[in-house]
Amino acid sequence: MNIIVTAMHENILISGPITPEIVSAGVSRLGNNTGLGGHSLFLGQVRSDMKGLKKVKAIEYSAYKEMLNKEAGVIKETVLSEYNDVNSIYILHSTGIVRAGEISLLVLVSAGHRHQAIAACTKTVELIKEKLPVWKKEIFEDDTHEWVRDKKA
Amino acid sequence: MEIKVLFFGVLAEVTQSMFRHYSDIKSFSDLKHRIEDEFPEIVHYDFRIAVNSEFINDEPELKNNDEVAFMPPFAGG
Repeated sequence: MNIIVTAMHENILISGPITPEIVSAGVSRLGNNTGLGGHSLFLGQVRSDMKGLKKVKAIEYSAYKEMLNKEAGVIKETVLSEYNDVNSIYILHSTGIVRAGEISLLVLVSAGHRHQAIAACTKTVELIKEKLPVWKKEIFEDDTHEWVRDKKA
Repeated sequence: MEIKVLFFGVLAEVTQSMFRHYSDIKSFSDLKHRIEDEFPEIVHYDFRIAVNSEFINDEPELKNNDEVAFMPPFAGG
């Protein structure tokens, strides 16, 4: 079975945090492909930043779903064409509220050998940051909020 | 022409709406002016445009029933 082709059209959005059970299911879906030699897993976590005297307690993510799933497909194609040893790329991104300390992004890249698994995982994460139409609202402990990178510099 | 406009991130907050319909739009520039007249605060924000889920760098040519998204800088991950 060609994992790559089926993965292209997947919905990568998940409502709420990416729990340990979801991470585990993501790893399990690789099955028992004995041709693979390495998997590189990146988990993005909500950090409790300080903004002045305010502490971030959660992030609320929103996304342009149709465009996001299409762009995620383009990212996968781009990385697969650049790293010929990579067999599959699995991406999940949270939408809605994710509390500090919880996981909001999962990238799992599988390859024949470790070097390309790690390099392609890094590349995928960077492209996600640059290309995916996702926005985040930091929610502080006093329930006020601030959009990340909102006003003109 | 009829245009469906989507607002994301802080722009949804500024316009108090996720989407709006605009009628009798002559061009993208006409649409932008209509939005700026309605929500003057929007000029303080950076945004990129997508038409029917495709990024557009230049001023887009609009067709009837196009979906135009106003998107602040991305902040995924």
